Amino acid sequence: MRAFAWGAFVLGALYFVLPLWGMTEFSLSMRRGEYSFDAYRSVLAMPDFQATFAFSAFMALVTIVVGVLIVVPTAFWVRLKVPELRPVIEFITLLPLVIPAIVIVFGYIRLYNTGSWLPLTGTAMGTNLLLAMGYTVLALPYMYRAVDTGLRTIDVGTLTEAAQSLGAGWATILGRVILPNVLSAVLSGAFLTFAIVIGEFTMAALLDRPAFGPFMQRLGQDRAYEPSALAVIAFAITWGCMGLIGLVSRTQKHTRAAR
Amino acid sequence: MSEAAAPAAAAPRAASGGGGASRGLPGGRWLGVLPFFLFVTLFLILPTLYIVVGAFRTTGGGWTLQNVLDLNTRSIRNAYWVSVQVSFWSALLGCLIGFAMSAAVVLWGLPRWLKQPLLTFSGVASNFAGVPLAFAFIATVGPAGLITLWLRSDLGVILQAGLWNVPEGLQWLLPGQVRFPRFTILSTWGLILTYLFFQIPLMVLIITPAIEGLRREWREAAEVLGASAWQYWRMVALPILTPSLLGCMALLFANAFGAVATAIALTGPALNIAPILLYAQIRGDVLGNPNLGYALALGMIVITAAANALYVWLRARSERWLK
Amino acid sequence: MTAKTWLAGTASAAVLMQATLAFAQQTPAPGPLRTEDMAALQAAAEAEGMLTTIALPRDWCNYEGVFQTFQAKYPGITINELNPNASSAEELEAIRANRGNTGPQAPDVIDVGLAFGPQAQEEGLIQPYMVQTWDSIPESARDAEGYWYGDYYGVMSFAVNTDLVAEVPQSFADLLDPQYAGQVALAGDPRASNQAILAVMAAGLATGAEPGQAAGEAGLEFFRQLNEAGNFVPVIGGSGTLAQGTTPILIQWDYNALTTRDTLAGNPPVEVVIPEDVSLAGMYVQAISAYAPQPNAARLWMEHIYSDEGQLEWLKGYCRPIRFDDMVARGVVPQDLLDRLPPAREGATVVFPSLDAVNANRDAVVGGWDAVVGADVVE
Repeated sequence: MRAFAWGAFVLGALYFVLPLWGMTEFSLSMRRGEYSFDAYRSVLAMPDFQATFAFSAFMALVTIVVGVLIVVPTAFWVRLKVPELRPVIEFITLLPLVIPAIVIVFGYIRLYNTGSWLPLTGTAMGTNLLLAMGYTVLALPYMYRAVDTGLRTIDVGTLTEAAQSLGAGWATILGRVILPNVLSAVLSGAFLTFAIVIGEFTMAALLDRPAFGPFMQRLGQDRAYEPSALAVIAFAITWGCMGLIGLVSRTQKHTRAAR
Repeated sequence: MSEAAAPAAAAPRAASGGGGASRGLPGGRWLGVLPFFLFVTLFLILPTLYIVVGAFRTTGGGWTLQNVLDLNTRSIRNAYWVSVQVSFWSALLGCLIGFAMSAAVVLWGLPRWLKQPLLTFSGVASNFAGVPLAFAFIATVGPAGLITLWLRSDLGVILQAGLWNVPEGLQWLLPGQVRFPRFTILSTWGLILTYLFFQIPLMVLIITPAIEGLRREWREAAEVLGASAWQYWRMVALPILTPSLLGCMALLFANAFGAVATAIALTGPALNIAPILLYAQIRGDVLGNPNLGYALALGMIVITAAANALYVWLRARSERWLK
Repeated sequence: MTAKTWLAGTASAAVLMQATLAFAQQTPAPGPLRTEDMAALQAAAEAEGMLTTIALPRDWCNYEGVFQTFQAKYPGITINELNPNASSAEELEAIRANRGNTGPQAPDVIDVGLAFGPQAQEEGLIQPYMVQTWDSIPESARDAEGYWYGDYYGVMSFAVNTDLVAEVPQSFADLLDPQYAGQVALAGDPRASNQAILAVMAAGLATGAEPGQAAGEAGLEFFRQLNEAGNFVPVIGGSGTLAQGTTPILIQWDYNALTTRDTLAGNPPVEVVIPEDVSLAGMYVQAISAYAPQPNAARLWMEHIYSDEGQLEWLKGYCRPIRFDDMVARGVVPQDLLDRLPPAREGATVVFPSLDAVNANRDAVVGGWDAVVGADVVE
């Protein structure tokens, strides 16, 4: 049994390591015959790289803020006041996993063009807003699940009641009582959202926004070694985000133990 | 005394949970979820319904089934069929391999300390989809990839042609050339291989808590009653795990079916699979019929919804085992 | 219960929206046909402040240089580049999809294959304009009413990655050889990209067919054979895929192949071959969108690219500008640029297909590709 387990594990590990090694090796091969960081230098110096990365990073932050503003109050309210709506809302938050992103953005393009009642694609700002909303929809399942799990571990009813009896309004309750207690869950959702938005391609490409995903795809068509360097950088960023999630959830355990 | 009475009065009100209006606002209960519903309606439900409805309309504004019927051309059928195949196999294999890897660490005696790195790496890899993943696989098993070239130069194996020029030392065993099925990254199996990179980790992430939920006492109880390992698995462990397994498979299927970025980065917008066809149609009306785009999108939704409905049904059936 | 009513309401809203959305936009009246006062045009364009282009990769015909010279002359106009890798069909779709949209998604100017110019004109997607240097554009390369006008041309060639290809193919017929299994690709989607559509036509001409529908059909047949032999790779090729090995033999315009060779700078080494059996010249045309949000900037752009300065920038990218003969006659072309151009194959006649021929070819290829060649994902 053990041998089989080791065999399965090693084969699996090999499957994952080889492509990562392949792309790293290719990214170091820009100079003929020797390893060098030329591809990385070339990529990092590209003004398009800096511009699109900055755009996507900013979009990710906007998405996180919007996501938190929508998800935390909703999850809180559902838990507290309208638990019978939970199945409906959970079903809705799972819809983005069923409806492909390309269909959603196709709907945006047709529905919110300049002939419609909400002409979002008429301006750059409007299209950016639409893109942020699209990203929030994509991140919704993960955000909601993370926050909901976090809320489950605290006694929402008692905390709210205590705050209310001290005279707190809803904003204070959410901002100063609930949010700090689910912070690790929110941060986990936030880092995951960041990883999703940075690499996202479909929505940004079809809405023609200068995001990082379409930039990477264009580069794959036009350059040979730089795309692999980009892939390594993207992998490092994803790893960074996941590492931060792990870090955040570990520190949260400590604060809870103090209770 | 009034202070004691106030909390006492407050307690039953809070204890009644969701009943009653909050702070006297009529319909105030629903106010809290209004932003959510507004957001979801505007940016998820309405666009999707618009597409669904649009699939049944003509450019003039009337109702028609023609768009859906027009889907029945050879290349569109092929596109859907290839997508279904790729999604199904990457989901099934992802399920099995992910389960094996997770079980190897949790159940089958591999060192405990392997678990956390496995989960962390799975978290990273499951999000490493899309464009960078395609680059990684092209650099590895593409026509000029690391492994492809190594196989050709060091072992005499030519993947793309499906030939193995047996080296001198083994000629006595396998004379001449050995033929095997051709492999290129731009085939159905190439896509499946690439998709597995994010499917397997997703499976690992979801199934590990479920496997950990299998209590040792159940295993011990089964042994005490004389069950063999196989019987334990068949009658205790698998029925308990089946809802998670099925749920994950449906999730993986939908995940693969809608994946555009990885495929486009591998091949460009000319490969004949459903999401790329829709992408090319939205971008450039390559099919020459604007309403066909709606029908294509509708077809995609129908397939992923059907997969999930199947999961829900199967899960309801298998959950009977848990009662 | 409330959830159900909400869902019903949303569904009805969707239906209602579908019914009432009116896509029919009035085609706006075109601007003046010629510019009398360049200074006024420049002022009007700078007031608009932006120019939206589409499908202009920076390394295609040295558009990098064209952009830079334009920006240097008119720093007040920002260039908004949409989707550099768009195909000709996608450019027309972008105009259609943005009718009435004055935002940054709507292109002002398009650069499409010859066959797509008249198509755009028929659909009312473009407006006429005659640049100051109109008279030096050959008559065969422009629409009499000024709707579209040729900008540059090149010859169909092969770009070959000699690291991966031992014996460089010299003709279309050579491509069918089994040693090129899984190596030959087009540089665009043959249902949408002018470059790919004309590559199919070149293949047809190489088999001896007449330009037009016959060449289109013969080309489709050639690619069907190429696909069945396993030599064809259904991937849109670029310099990236050429170098990575996915598409070691790329059929594209000679100017693109030469630019690819220069960009890769020997890593890997690239050889550019003009096939023995056909030298097909392909021309692209410029046009201003009928719905251009910045029409004055668009006209200023046209004036720039048809000026000697703009045309020479294209020449630096190995493209022959449309006013080439006129400029050579006046002696404004630097000798070193002339020397860089690839020599024509000895004894080969360069075929310049007529407008009717490219139209017929386009219809044949776009309509027949899926059915005849059907390059699907292999098992």
